[in-house]
Amino acid sequence: MSSNNWLLIGIMAGFLSLGIAAYLFFWVRRQDAGSSKAQEVASWIRGGASSYLKKLYRALTLVAVVIGFIIAIVFSFDLANYGTGQAVINPLLGMEMALAFITGAICSAIAGYMGMSIAVEANVRSATAASRSLNQAFRVAFYAGAVMGLAMVGIAVIGMSVIYLITRDPEVVLGFSFGASTLALLAKAGGGIYTKTADIAADLVGKVEVGIPEDDPRNPAVVADNVGDNVGDVAGMGADIFDSYVASAVAVMLLGLSFSTATQDRYIVFPLILCALGIFASLMGIQFVRVGKRGEPNEALNRGTYLTCIFFALMVTVLVILGGYDLSVLWSTLIGLLTGVVIGITSDYFTSDDKKPVRETAKVSKSGAAINIITGFSYGLISIVPPIIGIVIATLLSYSIAESSGVISGIYGIGVSAVGMLAVSGMIVSADAYGPIVDNARGIAEMSGMSHEVIERADVLDAAGNTAKAITKGFAISAAALTVLALFAAYSEVVAARGLILQISLRNPLVVAGVLLGAMTPPLFSALTMLSVTHNAFDMIEEIRRQFRERPGILAGNELPDYNTCVGLAAQGALSALILPAFLAVGLPILVGFILGPDALGGFLGGSIFSGVIFALLMANAGGLWDNAKKYIEMGQHGGPGSESHKASVVGDTVGDPFKDTAGPSLNTLITVMSLVSSLFAPVIAAFHLFR
Amino acid sequence: MSIHLYLSLIPEALIASMLTPEEFGSYYAVGSVKKSRGQAIFFELDPKFRSKFFPMQEGFKRCVPHEDGTPKRSIYMGVYRVLENVPVQAIQMLYLVTQDGRTLGLQPNSLLPSDADGMHLYREIAPVTPLVASMLGPREFYRLIVHSPTSLVKLPAICFTELRLGNLAMDPQNGDLGDLPYDNLEHLRNCLLELRGKSIHTKMVDRIPPRVIAYRTIKNGFFVGNKEKLAYFALPPWDELKKTNYSWWRSAQM
Repeated sequence: MSSNNWLLIGIMAGFLSLGIAAYLFFWVRRQDAGSSKAQEVASWIRGGASSYLKKLYRALTLVAVVIGFIIAIVFSFDLANYGTGQAVINPLLGMEMALAFITGAICSAIAGYMGMSIAVEANVRSATAASRSLNQAFRVAFYAGAVMGLAMVGIAVIGMSVIYLITRDPEVVLGFSFGASTLALLAKAGGGIYTKTADIAADLVGKVEVGIPEDDPRNPAVVADNVGDNVGDVAGMGADIFDSYVASAVAVMLLGLSFSTATQDRYIVFPLILCALGIFASLMGIQFVRVGKRGEPNEALNRGTYLTCIFFALMVTVLVILGGYDLSVLWSTLIGLLTGVVIGITSDYFTSDDKKPVRETAKVSKSGAAINIITGFSYGLISIVPPIIGIVIATLLSYSIAESSGVISGIYGIGVSAVGMLAVSGMIVSADAYGPIVDNARGIAEMSGMSHEVIERADVLDAAGNTAKAITKGFAISAAALTVLALFAAYSEVVAARGLILQISLRNPLVVAGVLLGAMTPPLFSALTMLSVTHNAFDMIEEIRRQFRERPGILAGNELPDYNTCVGLAAQGALSALILPAFLAVGLPILVGFILGPDALGGFLGGSIFSGVIFALLMANAGGLWDNAKKYIEMGQHGGPGSESHKASVVGDTVGDPFKDTAGPSLNTLITVMSLVSSLFAPVIAAFHLFR
Repeated sequence: MSIHLYLSLIPEALIASMLTPEEFGSYYAVGSVKKSRGQAIFFELDPKFRSKFFPMQEGFKRCVPHEDGTPKRSIYMGVYRVLENVPVQAIQMLYLVTQDGRTLGLQPNSLLPSDADGMHLYREIAPVTPLVASMLGPREFYRLIVHSPTSLVKLPAICFTELRLGNLAMDPQNGDLGDLPYDNLEHLRNCLLELRGKSIHTKMVDRIPPRVIAYRTIKNGFFVGNKEKLAYFALPPWDELKKTNYSWWRSAQM
């Protein structure tokens, strides 16, 4: 089959995915939206989330236009003709790249927006359905999550396929990916800052100072907290996976350029075919996500994920055998898929309350907050080991199998592993987006005064969502690690295509400088985003205290708090906090490249990848571990709520909050953006740089 | 608007109010413009109760609606030696209020709980507030404090509650405290062990225990007694409260 036909099949798969997402969207919308009180609470959350996203997208439009303009100018210089005496200015090239960039940004925004739109409709419907049965509530929440998952992969595959079909140039698809990743980074970091600002402020004043429970409507920050779940965990995570999904495919497409002319097109299109098969597998896997009579949502989600992986593996096997692809791409795909599942399971080990790390951290909380933090942090560090070993094994195996085939390059094999891992994102994101929806459903059930049976069901659904969230984070970070390794190789290819062979040796001081600067960036980025959380939370805490102080009727339950002020504070704080992190991601690699040159930029990328992956894993797992240690104590262990152990675990959880939901998940997007911007600007940097 | 009489236990006070018990509990716990707030435990008294010990006539005279028509929230008629001057017969209902103002009403029980085997932990609420370990059941503990003290110290009336000891009640050496949030567990164990090894009935565990009583640690209920009578207000089982009084239960879990 010709590559054009495969592209058309990919586009059809994308539209099929979008069609089913649309069907599920309207199915969810048709479900009972519940009592007027529940609908009123849901409307507060919906209004807050929409208002934040409007502000975010308005700011991002400006960013996209500015970067798009710069890209249009820079890429108008046809560097292939530079120094040949022929015309070097070709505005069409610049326009093409800028358009691809803006299309990528728009697609990423649509994916995030669609997910959030259905999430804020589904939360109240899931809560209402929980009053009938667990199964009904689960279906509403999961199908809403599937809207997000299927829409995201559909848009991504259509976007990449159409751009490649029109331009036949993977570098233009790289522009699409850069657009998607830039927006994803800002959406993820902004959402992360927003959600933790609201969460920490609501808890510190509401729970600790005033003694009101979680999700109590008397807390002025409760709506902002629920809005945060949507903008951080749904819109942010959607944009994040969208970016990794696209970046992994684009990296492999770029590496496909190194194939001989006879096979080049087939191997450039191969990742898009994998994505299309991943869509079909996800659509099949989703059918098996059902809660049986025993009512185990966790089992249902896991069954869906594992079956999707099996379906995908079978389809890829058939494709490779019947399509005449080299067998090594099959092994690379399967290695990536298997590694993703194994890393997901190990992430679960470090964050589950029935495993040693969480129980140990809970137990030592009896000795105070310091020991809780040291233990949780240490387990967080240990949690890096299994994923890193998994990534190492996946990298070496896929590299050596691909290299020994004599048909594809080793680095192409690594890239295919990343695509294999992310191809089933339709299912993974569906399970992930389910989490914040049921979390919100629980909040709405509490705030609208539903019965304790409904809330208990929502708790069961919520627990399954937390596990899915931990697995997805492990998946996302590992996939990003493999993706950036492939992007790193793609960067070398792009530089080599301009006649420069990268010499990344630690004996070269420029490379060492680059490595150090690169390694510095993820921790600096983490610090900036976490400081934004503390700064914004400080302002919001003052606002909540002010409302309680000046309006005693709020606590007495006689008057409603002013939710909008807290929503506005969280939104404003999150947006203004994005400027420096955005510069770090986009500006620093370009600066390093133009000043220190391509070798140093190679070192910079290497340094950022290594420290970025380690910090991302540490923060995601340590944060999840502290959170679940606190929940384990709240279940009645080691003194239960109100005990000294509980107080210590609350401190640990508060420290872990920005770890796991602000800085940690943004780091994989950061390293992807830095790799993409480097690859994109590589031709210009190869031609113009200060140190030679 | 009728006037209610409340006997507050934290702190001890006799208060006239035009608020219903639930309104009063919320007001008392979460504060008003005067900014006083915190957990509250109070009895509602028979409205016909009168005592020369308190300036009640003057209090009733002052307990009139505000100029804007809103009810008078509180008129304090006594803040010292209140419990001993209120007959147990005048006590009608007990109200437990959480820090965030959720109120649970308990009716008196005609039957006292049976004195279970093992060791006991009592939190005295009024007039003094120590945490005391004892070999005695609640009935015997009350008699010891009010009727036949073995020491020179004697209380004319007392309100206390028994707290859960979990497995420590039977095995202070090795028993697990489970979900009980007590500070300084080793000290508590030592007190219980010392009590078991000596011929004394009670042992002070903490002179100044935490200000807030965790309702979920209450074993059976509240006891209030003077020379004449001991009354008992049973707290329903925790799981039952979750079903019947979810909002209160949730706040009390904090």
